[in-house]
Amino acid sequence: MSLLSLIVFVPLAGALAILAIPKTKIKAIQGFGIAVSSVCLALTGYLYAAFDKTTAGMQFIEQLSWIPAFNINYFVGVDGLSVALVILTALLTLVSLIYSLNITLRVKEFFFWFLLLEAGMLGVFVSLDFFLFYVFWELTLVPMYFLIGVWGGPKKEYAAIKFFVYTLFGSLFMLLGILALYFNSAPHTFNMIELARQGSLLPLNMQIWIFLALYLGFAIKIPAFPFHTWLPLAHVEAPTGVSVILAGIMLKMGTYGIMRVSFPTLPAATKWFLPFLIIIAVINIVYGAFCAMAQKDLKKMVAYSSVNHMGYCMLGMTAMTTIGFNGAVLQMITHGLITGSLFLLVGVIYDRAHTRDMDAFGGLAARFPIFAGLMIIQVMASLGLPGLAGFVGEFLCFLGAFESWPYYVAVSTIGILVTAAFFLRMIEKVFLGPFNEKWAGLKDMNARELIAIVPLAVLTLAIGIWPRVCLDWINPTITYLAGLMK
Amino acid sequence: MLEYVFILPLLSFAVAGVIFAVGKWLPIKGASAGIAVAAWGFIQAAMLFVKAVRGSIALPYEASIPWFSVGAHQLSLGVYVDGLTLAMLLVVTTVSLLVQIYSTGYMHGDPRFKRYYAYLSIFTGSMLCVTLTSSMLVFFMGWELVGVCSYLLIGFWFEKQSAAYAGKKAFITTKLGDLGFLLGLLTLFYAAGTFEISAIMEKAQNGLIPVALAGLAGILMFLGAAGKSAQFPLFIWLPDAMEGPSPVSALIHAATMVAAGVYMVARLYSVYTLSPIAMDVVAWTGAITAFMAASLALTCFDLKRVLAFSTVSQLGYMMLALGAGGFTAGMFHLTTHAYFKALLFLAAGSVIHAVHTNDMREMGALRHKMPITYVTFLLGTLALCGIPPFAGFFSKDEVLVAALSRSPFLFALGAMAAAMTAFYMARALVMTFHGKPKDAHKHDHAHENPLVMTIPLMFLGIVSVISGWALTRHEIFEHLVNFEGALPFELHHVSHSTVALVSSLVAVFSMVFGLWLYKSRPDIPALLREKFSPIVNMLEKRYWLDAFFLKIVAWADSLSVVLFSVDFNFLDQIAIDGWGWLTIKLGKIQGWIDTYIVDAAVDAFGTITLYSGRAARLAQTGIIQNYLLFVAVAVSIFAAIAFAG
Repeated sequence: MSLLSLIVFVPLAGALAILAIPKTKIKAIQGFGIAVSSVCLALTGYLYAAFDKTTAGMQFIEQLSWIPAFNINYFVGVDGLSVALVILTALLTLVSLIYSLNITLRVKEFFFWFLLLEAGMLGVFVSLDFFLFYVFWELTLVPMYFLIGVWGGPKKEYAAIKFFVYTLFGSLFMLLGILALYFNSAPHTFNMIELARQGSLLPLNMQIWIFLALYLGFAIKIPAFPFHTWLPLAHVEAPTGVSVILAGIMLKMGTYGIMRVSFPTLPAATKWFLPFLIIIAVINIVYGAFCAMAQKDLKKMVAYSSVNHMGYCMLGMTAMTTIGFNGAVLQMITHGLITGSLFLLVGVIYDRAHTRDMDAFGGLAARFPIFAGLMIIQVMASLGLPGLAGFVGEFLCFLGAFESWPYYVAVSTIGILVTAAFFLRMIEKVFLGPFNEKWAGLKDMNARELIAIVPLAVLTLAIGIWPRVCLDWINPTITYLAGLMK
Repeated sequence: MLEYVFILPLLSFAVAGVIFAVGKWLPIKGASAGIAVAAWGFIQAAMLFVKAVRGSIALPYEASIPWFSVGAHQLSLGVYVDGLTLAMLLVVTTVSLLVQIYSTGYMHGDPRFKRYYAYLSIFTGSMLCVTLTSSMLVFFMGWELVGVCSYLLIGFWFEKQSAAYAGKKAFITTKLGDLGFLLGLLTLFYAAGTFEISAIMEKAQNGLIPVALAGLAGILMFLGAAGKSAQFPLFIWLPDAMEGPSPVSALIHAATMVAAGVYMVARLYSVYTLSPIAMDVVAWTGAITAFMAASLALTCFDLKRVLAFSTVSQLGYMMLALGAGGFTAGMFHLTTHAYFKALLFLAAGSVIHAVHTNDMREMGALRHKMPITYVTFLLGTLALCGIPPFAGFFSKDEVLVAALSRSPFLFALGAMAAAMTAFYMARALVMTFHGKPKDAHKHDHAHENPLVMTIPLMFLGIVSVISGWALTRHEIFEHLVNFEGALPFELHHVSHSTVALVSSLVAVFSMVFGLWLYKSRPDIPALLREKFSPIVNMLEKRYWLDAFFLKIVAWADSLSVVLFSVDFNFLDQIAIDGWGWLTIKLGKIQGWIDTYIVDAAVDAFGTITLYSGRAARLAQTGIIQNYLLFVAVAVSIFAAIAFAG
């Protein structure tokens, strides 16, 4: 079994093993779940170290015949586009599980679904067979449905079913696109690399339809305007750890899909759609930021800021340059780290105060210095402060897109300003000013929360100062990909 | 030793971490570590400066390491040192050191003392990045970082609502300008293909950057400078920034960060000089700022705000000089101003520390109580007003020469600003230190501050007296901070001595007038206030600029509410959940059809069968005669048909 298969199947096996543990043994379930995801993270750590940074091609490939009648294979591999996302998935899962140790309701099922979800997400990022990709893609839906629907907030059932139906709707169109690609290839194949070679030969008309079908599936995940409205609801209703995964990983499945499949496979359609994609990107950036500014609920604000940040990512993608693509991929990673920690931090305060209304707080910085410090660091990272991770990705997206789309980039900068405005207003309302004595009894962050959040903060700082820890892995593949798109 | 200059910012960042981590176990709660690093930086900077003046080091010096690469583009971290860098370096390290020494007294007993020093060190490190970097990208990064430090330090006493608000206002206002900076930077990269300062300069000088793009980049980046260096119309944040501790105002909001915009324009002079339009934008914005801000200082009663407006006005002067082509003059004024304005802020801080108020109407007659503060404040005032032979005279004179050689109108604005400067400083001097004590209680409790606070004052006092003279001797500054290359316009010939005479006469007259007015006839200002109340009102409303920007904020707020309402009510509830609703309704209709039509049709067959059965049953009487009758009738009918056919 290759390294990638281990990475995918360790959490899957772990999930099944959890079913065998009696549900009353909560400590054992928690310990086992965290051990499994730690092993998975360690394996991705090895992947990070063993990855060959000099080549643009696929590595750690494993290919087995699965359903020969339809030429469907179990085919996995990683390159610079996916390797960082694989590691991020393993990291955020572990972090979320550690944070979720405070969950007391139906612990066994929670860990089962969570590990299943991890396997699904990892599978999406390593699949090179489009059928396999689709299977894993759909596999993430069911755990997420239950994780929101069972452990969520007051409107959990509504949020869960909306998320499920909405994404399913998109992925059905994606399936149509996949089948269209399959039946237009000769010999029929789901091999993504082979499809990328053949797809570009398709007539423009056909490419456009396939692109549109795939885009619908991906755009709902990103989420790109106007398909973003499931996001604030799902993020707000989901329990903290699940929000982290939603924002940190699942949104990236959309942008990853576009970069992995749509761009190289359908280059002519991509060019045709570019003017449309850039407008969507700008809307995501500016509109998302304005919507976030209107929020009183901390979690909803962070959720809408994700719409804004995924807009930067799309801006980098539409640049069609090496710089922009690098920025887009880096933005996926840094947004995962930063927004992941922001959701955790919002969870910290919600667990204590049982409210997320900004106006309910005030002056918390004086009594909760650690919490305030971490929050301010991550907020600054999110609004693109240099020295922290968010800046590099964002800046590269802007820099890459500027050459092709100077006016759109100019409009997008409004998003930066509005982001700064709503985050600083949040800090002012929650942390500054006179202390609201109502919260005098609360305690600063505990060990569980710190263990979950501090590593993310450290990485945020590390990537901000030395982006090579990511970019060196990403750059060769991206340079090749950008070359394809020229 | 130039090879090790890159250590300076790194050391500042490192010491910030040390103070955060183990500060409470270090002498003076970690301040000692910060001061030690600042002192080391100052020594390095001073030695480099002297060596450069003597010509014993080769400039410019450049060194860098690769940072990261995207595609074929290699971005680097490095230092670029020339005379301009060294002048700025000396300013930053000197003021940082003095402010840190001073702060041990000023911030004594503050519960967040340790954090204060950590912030100061981060600030110093970021400012050194801005100063030393070889890349405009890193310049921008340092630029943003100093902005955050400024935010944190303005709002240092964040329990005070006004301080929290002022920090936010400063951050957002400068961020607005920084959007321009970002776009300018992108334009510059597009035009030059690199962020390296030396490469950009070389390309600009060799005409490889199109004039239009250079002008566009220059103007856009100047927007950033207008934010950071508090130029019209973005200067609104600086007066509010005075909510921060006074030493912070001296370091960040007088000497270093606010000068970064000026430094940036000077750093990229070869880009700016390509475009006469960009130069004019810089010059006129500077002149207007110098004039407006000086007028705003006239009616202020808050001592620190007077100094804040004065800083804005002097920054306008620097921009005016740069835009008029007097790069050396602008940088010279930056240097002298940094010292005497830092002095004024520290002296004001000393006063505020003693009387616990910023309001000059509650001060008065402090000169006997606080002699050292008084004398040093006086020296700073004389330097700022441009009274010969104090530092400001030399630099202001050069600025005015540059202005006049470009345009008499620029000169006129500058000269009027100079007159107002001398006047409002005379006013501040009298209201604070002379006359009778206006608040007896506060006056009684006032006392001179300890030596840690007065020694920096004395040092800066001496510098304010001699620096102008010392730096013009043998044209030291001019040789060190020189800008080669042609200007995009012709300059008029100007007689230096005439300008010097006019500017010093204006300053002396206006200062004496101010002193006389506020000392001997304090009734007249009150009368004037009443007489010219519309003007006073306009000044107190700061030309309605704050209101204007608040209007934009309110507008953006309502826009956000409207957009979110569209998002939720239309995009989500109607466009998405509408499908759900429609599906349910359709389902219900289908359910109805299913029940009442399809199923009913099926049932109808059953019913029909049932009823036809029942009807048929009527015939099943069980009486044999009836059956025989049916048979007979049937047979006769068939027979009739058969025979008829």
